[in-house]
Amino acid sequence: MAVITLPYKYLERLTRTDKKTILDKIALIGSDVERVEEDHADVEFFPDRPDLFSPEGVARAMRGYLGIETGLPSYPVKPSGISFTVDPRLVDIRPVLGAAVIRGITFDDESIQSIMSLQESLHWAVGRGRSKVAIGIHDLDTVKPPFSYIASPRSRKFVPLDYTEEMSMDEILEKHPKGRDYAKIVRDFPLFPLIVDRDDHVLSFPPIINGERTRVTIETKTILLDTTGTDRRAVGVAVNIICTAMAEAGAKIESIGIDGVQTPTLAPAERTVSVQECSSLLGVELTELTMAELLKKMRFGAVPAKAGYVKVQIPCYRADIMHDWDIFEDVAIAYGYDKIQDLPPKTFTVGKPHPVQVYAALAREVFCGLGYLEVMPFTLTNEDVLYTRMQRVEKKGVLHVMHPISIENTVVRTELLPLLLEFLALNRHRELPQRLFTVGDVVDSCLTYQQAAGVSTHPDADFSEAYALADAVLHELSIDYTINESADPAFIDGRRGDIIVAGNLAGVFGEIHPAVLNAFELEHSVAAFECDLRAVPGYPGT
Amino acid sequence: MAELTQNEKRLLGVLEKERKADAKHLATLLDATPESVVQWAHLAGDKGLVSLDRVVDKTFGYTDEGKDYLKHGLPESQLLKFITRNTLLVDLQKHGSFKIGFGQLRKKGLVIVSNGMVSKADGASTSADEAALKNPQTGDPKTKELIKRGILLETESVRYIISLQDEGLQLLRQGLDLREEIGTLTRDQILSGAWKTSNFRRYDVTKLPKKAYPGKVHPYQRIIAEMREILLEMGFEELYGGIVQQSFWNFDALFQPQDHPAREMQDTFYLRESLPLPPGYEKVKAMHESGGGTSSTGWGGVWKEEKAEQCVLRTHTTSVSIQHLAKNPTPPVKAFCVGRVYRRETIDTTHLAEFEQLEGIVMDEGVTFGNLLGILREFYHRMGFEGVRFKPSYYPYTEPSLDAEVYVEGIGWIEMGGAGVFREEVTAPLGINYPVLAWGLGVSRIAMLRLGLKDLRYLHRSDVAFLRQTPALRHTKGSV
Repeated sequence: MAVITLPYKYLERLTRTDKKTILDKIALIGSDVERVEEDHADVEFFPDRPDLFSPEGVARAMRGYLGIETGLPSYPVKPSGISFTVDPRLVDIRPVLGAAVIRGITFDDESIQSIMSLQESLHWAVGRGRSKVAIGIHDLDTVKPPFSYIASPRSRKFVPLDYTEEMSMDEILEKHPKGRDYAKIVRDFPLFPLIVDRDDHVLSFPPIINGERTRVTIETKTILLDTTGTDRRAVGVAVNIICTAMAEAGAKIESIGIDGVQTPTLAPAERTVSVQECSSLLGVELTELTMAELLKKMRFGAVPAKAGYVKVQIPCYRADIMHDWDIFEDVAIAYGYDKIQDLPPKTFTVGKPHPVQVYAALAREVFCGLGYLEVMPFTLTNEDVLYTRMQRVEKKGVLHVMHPISIENTVVRTELLPLLLEFLALNRHRELPQRLFTVGDVVDSCLTYQQAAGVSTHPDADFSEAYALADAVLHELSIDYTINESADPAFIDGRRGDIIVAGNLAGVFGEIHPAVLNAFELEHSVAAFECDLRAVPGYPGT
Repeated sequence: MAELTQNEKRLLGVLEKERKADAKHLATLLDATPESVVQWAHLAGDKGLVSLDRVVDKTFGYTDEGKDYLKHGLPESQLLKFITRNTLLVDLQKHGSFKIGFGQLRKKGLVIVSNGMVSKADGASTSADEAALKNPQTGDPKTKELIKRGILLETESVRYIISLQDEGLQLLRQGLDLREEIGTLTRDQILSGAWKTSNFRRYDVTKLPKKAYPGKVHPYQRIIAEMREILLEMGFEELYGGIVQQSFWNFDALFQPQDHPAREMQDTFYLRESLPLPPGYEKVKAMHESGGGTSSTGWGGVWKEEKAEQCVLRTHTTSVSIQHLAKNPTPPVKAFCVGRVYRRETIDTTHLAEFEQLEGIVMDEGVTFGNLLGILREFYHRMGFEGVRFKPSYYPYTEPSLDAEVYVEGIGWIEMGGAGVFREEVTAPLGINYPVLAWGLGVSRIAMLRLGLKDLRYLHRSDVAFLRQTPALRHTKGSV
């Protein structure tokens, strides 16, 4: 999530109202206020609204929402006369380029910091960690147009940002911190993307690092913005968001001719949307006029079109408007969620529990009646607990997660009993007897089903207790079973029984093997029982 | 004074006549073991009714050697008899008692040896030693010596003398109810009517016996059960589905773009397994790439089948509800699902890699965003939260989206869950032609509030003492 720092003085100046009014309402446009400090607030915005990742963008939205300035903001763009060419060999490397000139802004350390943090937030939310979009800003006066975006040999040398010596692009990937961070995006290409000026001075090695030459300082008067990437729409949105934020801060935006096409235009897109569709989605009565007014509060351009429709102009910085309903959500926000009449739907329906949960509840009832206490172990565990300590062979259908967080959580449980023994170990210091049970999901070869298991530990826990437990649970669940001598190595030979239902193994019970007790560091004998609930007659899927 | 036990009363009863007696004697009178009598006397003694005196008696016995000497005389006595005026030492040495006896005689100075001849000293006698052997006395030096020589054995025995005290006598004069006292009421006593003439022993009713722990469901389970019950009452059908889901149902069918950060390896548990895509998946592909003929633009780019086939541990139960909707596109559908979901998060006190999610959906002709707010308000009210409010939010598969917050006394507004209307990009490719209202919430959030837990792990790695002590009633409806 993007947490944006909003300095009050700057925000108040841009919004043209006091900070209290802003902070009171800011959550209502879609945000979470994380911290309110003396001179600033940290506010989290959602990833679908990168246009709110700067104080300028927030002020623009709040002016609309508070009714200070509504409707489509306009951003005039005049051509800079600068041109850019794109090397066709970049088509499979990083084909898309966006660029603009930003003039007339005085930079201080704070505003440089502000544009840098917008840049970083965009890299995260729109750029997918620079792979989809990467943004560079340069001091235009340090280089000479026209500029070229080229596919360069990897041996090309220049001085990267924060360095004083020339390095080859290969060396940058190896040695420069940014190079190491983002190497994976370009590493496999034979040629690397590079932006150079008329005199072959390097501006940038996108998406890795800029050249030191074009560093933006407080002396900078004019900015050249470059944005490269793999997705035309995402690159366009990133350019628009930065340019309009800078324009809100007082800058003048000029376009650049990229292979002859002037960009950016900062012009709105258009959609004509149905008032009726919006009304019935939200459950709010609307007219063309009221809907248009609400949309203007959200900084759309909106005028009633043909009967029942509104023509909407979508600001160029709105990355999230993909569908008419995205516009309807803004209508709802402008209307106020608290004003929408909240009545449950009227259609009559009958509630129905799922049989799996009904049977699980029944099993719980039986265990509780026998004095067993329910526990709810994690479903992620490891081979050591499930198999090694149990002296059991690893189940064929066990699922290994590909990137486990720790060695404790490497597989999804295939049985419940080992987890109960682990539980007893955890509670070794607690009063005996301890009788615990659990009912829940296990997974075998991508198939989820439920098991029930119970353990009893105290100095006299024995086979008879395990058998009596098994019999009671199976009887209450109407499971018709027979017993065979078991060969399960988790139990003592001659004190273990397999539960056979309709010819299939459905569970096991007995006295836990002392080697297993040792492995779990248990000090008293354990009577144990586990069973597959699919043995219950009429169980779903059987 | 504390209540007298029946046995104390009986003891006092016999002491009324005996006044002072040995515990052994009293035991025969009371038909009990002396040990029991002493125990009762202790109890009565604590109340000042009797006194108990411990008397240690020493008694003497004989070793096998001693028994022999008792019959035949001590070796020195036997030898002394053998000595005449001038007995040759060599002859004396032939005597069976020479070894021990001669040493003793010399030690005691009873013989004189000169020039191979042995003669008695004047007045030599062992009669005092023989007397000590026959009748040992405590403190007698001769007796002590015989003990030292391993001829006599000294054993101590303890007796208890119990005597009635004035207070006991007074109590007896007031009269004691000496009827038989019942401890455990037996079948015999019930059937024979013996209970009619018996006393029921009085117990200290304030003294807690060894605690009994009932079998019970986990407090967290109780909360889940409560939520299920509320949704069943509200007319929802319950769903159950697999933990392992195809990316297709977990992400793609929900219009989550394939390059979405939530789909990356560091946020989701991927499995090596893949499953074939369901028939009609092409519509989902078209939606992602170009908007599939709706007013949507789609995400653009190329949608890859292999990515959708990969299995994951479900990141939400929405993967279950969306499949239910795809199979049941006829309205109305009102369904919910509670189940374990997985996020690849580092486990700490407030984050678990697996947690319970509750999720509900309503699909019907003409249902609105307002209806969704109504359902949520009703659900949270029934969960015991009076204050409920909504604010805009963002979820990739709903539009409009919201977060619900509830008011908790002493804490304030707490975010409880997200909700929204499924995007057309989600419903259209699956042939769902009516609006779908959907909401979800983390069950553990409510559990933490209810149980006052500081550490979420405690729900799954619980201390048995905590489970035993947590009362069942605390977690029922309306008692946050």
